[in-house]
Amino acid sequence: MPEFTGWLLDLFEDPREGLVLYFIDEQGPRWRLWHSFPVTFYALGEGAQLRALWQNLGSRPHEISLSRTQRMDVFKRRPVSALGVTVKNPYEARKIFQQTANRFPNLEYADADLQISLRFASDTGAFPLARCRVVADEVHQLIEIKVLEDAWTLKPQPIPLRVMTLTPDVAPHHAVPRSLLVEVAGETYRFDLATPRPLLANLRALIQRHDPDLLLTDYGDTWLLPQLLHNSDKYHIPLGLNREPGRGTRWQEERTYFSYGQIVYRGQQIHLFGRCHIDRQNAVLWKDYALEGTIEVSRVTALPLQTAARVSPGTGISSIEMLTALREGILVPWQKQQAEMLKPAADLFSADQGGLVYQPKIGVHKNVAEIDFVSLYPAIMVHFNISPETILPDPAGDNLVPALGLSIDASHEGLIPKALRPLLEKRIEIKKHLASAPPWDPYRKSFKNRSSALKWLLVTCFGYLGYKNARFGRIEAHQAVTAYGREALLRAKEAAEDLGYEVIQLYVDGLWVQHPEKTQPEEIQPLLLEIQGRTGLPISLDGIYRWVVFVGSRQNKQRPVANRYFGVFQDGTLKVRGIDARRHDSTPFVSEAQMHLLELLANVHNPESALPEAIAFLKSRLRALRNGEVRLADLLVRQRLGRKMEAYRTLPPAARAVQQLNTVGKTLRPGQRVPFLYTLGKPGVLAWDLPQKPDPRTVDVARYQRLLLRAAGIVLESWGLDEEKLTKKVITELSQLQLPPPSQQHPLEHRRDIPGVINPAVQRALKGQPQ
Amino acid sequence: MDRHITTFPAPQTGKISLVVAPRAVVGSLMTILATLALRGQVTVIDSGNCFDAYTLARALRVHTHQIDAALKRVLLSRAFTCYQVLAMLAELPMDDTPVIVLDLLSTFLDESVNLNKRLRLLDSSLNLLRRISQDAPVAIWARTRTSAVASEDQRLLLPLLEIANDIWELQAPETPIHQLPLF
Amino acid sequence: MGRTLPSATQLMHQEEAALARFRRALRRGDQLVFDDLFTAAQKHISATAYAAHALPFETFLMAMLLEEHKEVMRLREIVATLESMHA
Repeated sequence: MPEFTGWLLDLFEDPREGLVLYFIDEQGPRWRLWHSFPVTFYALGEGAQLRALWQNLGSRPHEISLSRTQRMDVFKRRPVSALGVTVKNPYEARKIFQQTANRFPNLEYADADLQISLRFASDTGAFPLARCRVVADEVHQLIEIKVLEDAWTLKPQPIPLRVMTLTPDVAPHHAVPRSLLVEVAGETYRFDLATPRPLLANLRALIQRHDPDLLLTDYGDTWLLPQLLHNSDKYHIPLGLNREPGRGTRWQEERTYFSYGQIVYRGQQIHLFGRCHIDRQNAVLWKDYALEGTIEVSRVTALPLQTAARVSPGTGISSIEMLTALREGILVPWQKQQAEMLKPAADLFSADQGGLVYQPKIGVHKNVAEIDFVSLYPAIMVHFNISPETILPDPAGDNLVPALGLSIDASHEGLIPKALRPLLEKRIEIKKHLASAPPWDPYRKSFKNRSSALKWLLVTCFGYLGYKNARFGRIEAHQAVTAYGREALLRAKEAAEDLGYEVIQLYVDGLWVQHPEKTQPEEIQPLLLEIQGRTGLPISLDGIYRWVVFVGSRQNKQRPVANRYFGVFQDGTLKVRGIDARRHDSTPFVSEAQMHLLELLANVHNPESALPEAIAFLKSRLRALRNGEVRLADLLVRQRLGRKMEAYRTLPPAARAVQQLNTVGKTLRPGQRVPFLYTLGKPGVLAWDLPQKPDPRTVDVARYQRLLLRAAGIVLESWGLDEEKLTKKVITELSQLQLPPPSQQHPLEHRRDIPGVINPAVQRALKGQPQ
Repeated sequence: MDRHITTFPAPQTGKISLVVAPRAVVGSLMTILATLALRGQVTVIDSGNCFDAYTLARALRVHTHQIDAALKRVLLSRAFTCYQVLAMLAELPMDDTPVIVLDLLSTFLDESVNLNKRLRLLDSSLNLLRRISQDAPVAIWARTRTSAVASEDQRLLLPLLEIANDIWELQAPETPIHQLPLF
Repeated sequence: MGRTLPSATQLMHQEEAALARFRRALRRGDQLVFDDLFTAAQKHISATAYAAHALPFETFLMAMLLEEHKEVMRLREIVATLESMHA
């Protein structure tokens, strides 16, 4: 009779046993338990139709049992009659539901297409990777499960996960990988990919010996596992990737979709049974929060680890909301969506707005305090009880939403605040711990990753509230949140001005303020308290800048924009937003140089004193560029294609690079980043993933020079060195040095005019003419 | 587009008027809406996120200083999915307030929903509109698209053409209007 | 998502477009001054947005007037300083 303490690793439906669960016993063994787990969905609608449905499904009593019941409809704000359809074997549930929905398309359905892990978590409290006390019988049927640490535990016991890492020696889209590196139990093995039979046999042996819980791969979804499985079939060498016997792997197709104005690409997915597979290259926010963050997501969303790694934060939030609804006995609508209430068009002007954003004064400002509300929108949802069912179209009620003609029902906690509250509180707690934890604290990294995971979920929940396809979305709720947000920000501004501060900048959930006599953190505290008092929302000091520079827009330097700035805090740390050093598409040569310049400025008390060193640095980088000493990989630009190729009239550089890849049979989907170099002549770009190695002499040096100087100008402009001055200082002086003569004739020497090279000084230099 | 306003008759109770026209017609529709709002309440269902509030305000301003009062008489609901269109229509109070539906088919072009399902939802929506038209004037604008999934567009347009009593088709701003034969 | 109205900046461009014929008939030098007025209005675009008027042009005029008056106040100070220096 197994009885143990351990963690729930995986769970899935099984045709014979209903629900199969895999556990990690803290003593070492891995357990496979099962339980029959009936699931219920609901049908609602017109009486005659429901009776017909009852007749239809009632003829299968061994599979289905029916009941008449009342369930809470969150939008109607009252219980409604529903027909409960309980499917005895959860494996059949999806199919039976689909059949029912097809046969009776005019009925509404609820609780219909939910992940089994959600249902299990709602029923038993046990979520994936929960630490539990488990009791089973002799045939391994699950008898009892008791959760020992809930999903909000601050310092959960670390899970003794056995991880096996599989990495090809080079990225498959760049070149053909030759070997596979496998890391497990502290050992590394290298297998030759050209000999599949030994590779498969060795891999199988390793998996059998170490019995990993998690296979962590690079390109596992899109390249490695498909290849391994294909070969395994071909050579009849079973790999044993699944722990669960008799199952294939579960495949999910690749998708391209449109989200928040961007095209997003998701590679195909390969899920295992009884064991987890995560492809680091296909895991949504891996770079942000790695495995610990992913485990955190899995726990709070009740999605299994493999799923949690691959879904967007929007799906995560949806999962949390559905779990909360299930726990509260609230119907989770299948397809129905709430329409917007009929409201006077006059209200649209004040309702249809985003957050408040000022136009900052371009240039440098000293001793500026940045204060931000903590998770403003989620905090508003929780504090003001904003939920689809708590919004009332009552311009005369209590709890009026500012300027919207709506009021909030505060009599009971709404579904969304109930779902978000623990998330928000946990994030705040972790942040507090991080702020006070010393740098050598072993929990620090784990806290950071978990905090990041929670942050992503919180950041998404607001957008999700207004999302047209959200189960519990309601546009009025979304509007109410932004209305409270604007009100909170304005009250914060007023508090600051009442206390003698000048407001340098205002941005949705934060403000930058300046006071001639208040330049230390302790001195800012009274302002924070005042704002908290006037708004009811938590606000914190991000830091005080020694100086901060607001930069104009990329297209027009004179036009102020809110999201391009850089500054140095009093503790010497830099904060940089929106300029090359932070952009994903900028080339490392430029972004690293810009970052270095920023660091030079940050390391001295008076930025002016760093200028000579800055100029010297720039000269040395330009010299390296001219001499071909810069690695080509550092000159790569990585841009996304915003649209499908056919949609462009004139092809931008990224599209031209994609064309080059297409001619050698490589394809890229819209949304994937394509790396390329800027080259001389036409077409002006060279895609990086082409089979032939690029010729360093074809690099458009002048263009990279310009990019570097422009980026440097952004940083140094506030101290008198804009791009123009820098160019004069750096280029002219450089060309007076004796540069070594080129060893071979330039491939474009025969051309009098070199297309693509605009800077006349550089043209002359390339032509070997005097300056 | 403006000169067509005078040739659109005001929607009448008992009838469903259908305008089939490209996006540029929104301005004229706002002008018609202004005329209705000056007289009394109007319900607008925006199924294409194209409600142009500022143009409506400017059109009202031509006639009166009290544009706020008129704007309060325009009751707006925006539907972003075809499910929301149906839900909205089902909740509409059955009175004599004129109902204008903007770009009805836009939400029904969502390919993530099965076409048959969409046709069913459209059918139910049109039935509701027919019932509403018994007590109130109803006008629908169906947008003609240049790119679009041509065959789906047509399949969705057919039920509209069938249910409408008056049909006005506009090809482009400068082309004079003509009436399509009634089905 | 769920946003129907154009942004305040877009509204400002619409107003500029509505005045395009007026601007065209101005002398070139006056055109640049005209453009300056709209740059002034851009500085307070967030207030236009928050004001949520159905007819926002008045808020643009207020913003222009505000910047104009700021300049007047600044010049007054300079004049006062100069006068006191020459007194």
